[in-house]
Amino acid sequence: MNIYKHEFKMKINSVIAWSLAVGLMIFIYLSIFSSIEIDAKLFNEMMASFPEEFLIAFGMTDIDMSTILGFFGLIFLFIQIGLAIQAANYGFSLVSVEETDLTADFLLAKPVGRTKIMTSKLLAAITGLTITNLVVWISSFVFLRMYSDGGQFETKPVLVLMLSIAIFQLFFLTVGMLISLLVKRVRSVPPYSMALVFGLYVLNAFGGMIGEDKLEILSPFKHFEPNYILKHAAYDLPLAWISVVVIVISIIGSYVLYSRKNIRSAV
Amino acid sequence: MNIFFRELKANFKSLLIWGVIVILFNTVGFAKFTAYYENPELLEVLNGMPPAMLAAFNMNAFNLTTISGFFGVMITFFGLLLSISAVMWGSDIISKEERDKTVEFSLTLPVRRSSIVTAKTLAALVNSIALLGITWGITLVSVSKYQPGEDFYKFLTLGMLALFIVQIVFLAVGIFLGCAMKQHKRASSTAVFLLLGTYFLSIISGMSENLEFLKYFSPFKYFDPAMLLHESKIDLTFVWLSVGIIAASMIGAYVTYSKRDLYI
Repeated sequence: MNIYKHEFKMKINSVIAWSLAVGLMIFIYLSIFSSIEIDAKLFNEMMASFPEEFLIAFGMTDIDMSTILGFFGLIFLFIQIGLAIQAANYGFSLVSVEETDLTADFLLAKPVGRTKIMTSKLLAAITGLTITNLVVWISSFVFLRMYSDGGQFETKPVLVLMLSIAIFQLFFLTVGMLISLLVKRVRSVPPYSMALVFGLYVLNAFGGMIGEDKLEILSPFKHFEPNYILKHAAYDLPLAWISVVVIVISIIGSYVLYSRKNIRSAV
Repeated sequence: MNIFFRELKANFKSLLIWGVIVILFNTVGFAKFTAYYENPELLEVLNGMPPAMLAAFNMNAFNLTTISGFFGVMITFFGLLLSISAVMWGSDIISKEERDKTVEFSLTLPVRRSSIVTAKTLAALVNSIALLGITWGITLVSVSKYQPGEDFYKFLTLGMLALFIVQIVFLAVGIFLGCAMKQHKRASSTAVFLLLGTYFLSIISGMSENLEFLKYFSPFKYFDPAMLLHESKIDLTFVWLSVGIIAASMIGAYVTYSKRDLYI
């Protein structure tokens, strides 16, 4: 419990900063919706006259910019990137931070098992991520209501989309944690998390743009594609399961690796 | 000079990894291009559309059946990759001394702080140029079998020049953050925030004409691939703006680092 409290206290500033940033992002994006709405109607009319294959080639099939939900689907991708980086940061630093800060000796000398250390840290990180998650929930619903025509929009697809955030965050948290245990030493966290998040993002964006290639099924950005979820009010289940499986494997792998890891001593 | 070589050696592995990423990305990208190269169906679709509509959507620039159009799409992703690497190298190369507790050693050497900054900046610059060279080289290799015309090479050269400027902007900003941030840990996370922020701005500014002014704040928007391709020129306003940002960041870096209170 002490470890949990301490970890959470260490994270709280970063959690607040990320939550504010993400909330602000939702606000800014949704507040410009009214100014692009008119362009968007024109845009949609023109899109309708394009042949289907062409739209598929450019990955523009599910985008309907004239409704607030269509627009929300487009911007939610960027919110996902932010959430992913936060989660990956926490994941990569979770246990490696003790070695970089030379506090591993101190922590491991405490009369608690490594499994317990890991569990406390993991729970603290999840608590932090959940706070950010809640902020996304609240700000999405509030700002969607404020900026949609007459406060009307379909709630169910948004609800389904919001529910995906937790799994999405867990994916990056646990994969980050696993990678940090697989490499010899994590010196600095951001390069790793940027590489993981942008690697997967580009994989999906590029695959979507040019179609066919199947590499993008590795990417959670594909598993929880906002446009798909908002349109169908459901997940692309086989793909969503990939994420869940990866999370489970990463958690198990991390526990096994951490309990056997040779921790470098400070001196 | 020793610091310069030391830094080059220390960053060599990172350069290799980035090089592999760029090469991999390029190969995958152009492998996909084979399916689109002069694909008759897609060409037919494009020919069947009224020219006004094509122009409205910039489709001429992003006509994926031609090598120039395809590269116009790829260049955005290269920009993202290269600027991430640049901002990471920049913010890391100075602040890592404090993180790794080597700063006492390096600052007791008989060199001024300003020459440390210079040597490190040069090392990061060489790395960035090397990565750009790798990007350029692998692109040339990838496109060679399509035997593109003169136009493409001109576009490629301009595109690489634009990428270079964006890289240096992010490198300079990264170095400034590495020097100026009181807490060394903040340097790279702030750099990440900045990079993401400007990337988002570049997306918003493309969404609506009312928000176009935002592009001044995002280096990703400084050089429009469509303009590079069709008008074969780089917008000079943005070149000067970039030079301004670079100069301000470097001056800021020297000033703040020479006064810096070190975290030990």
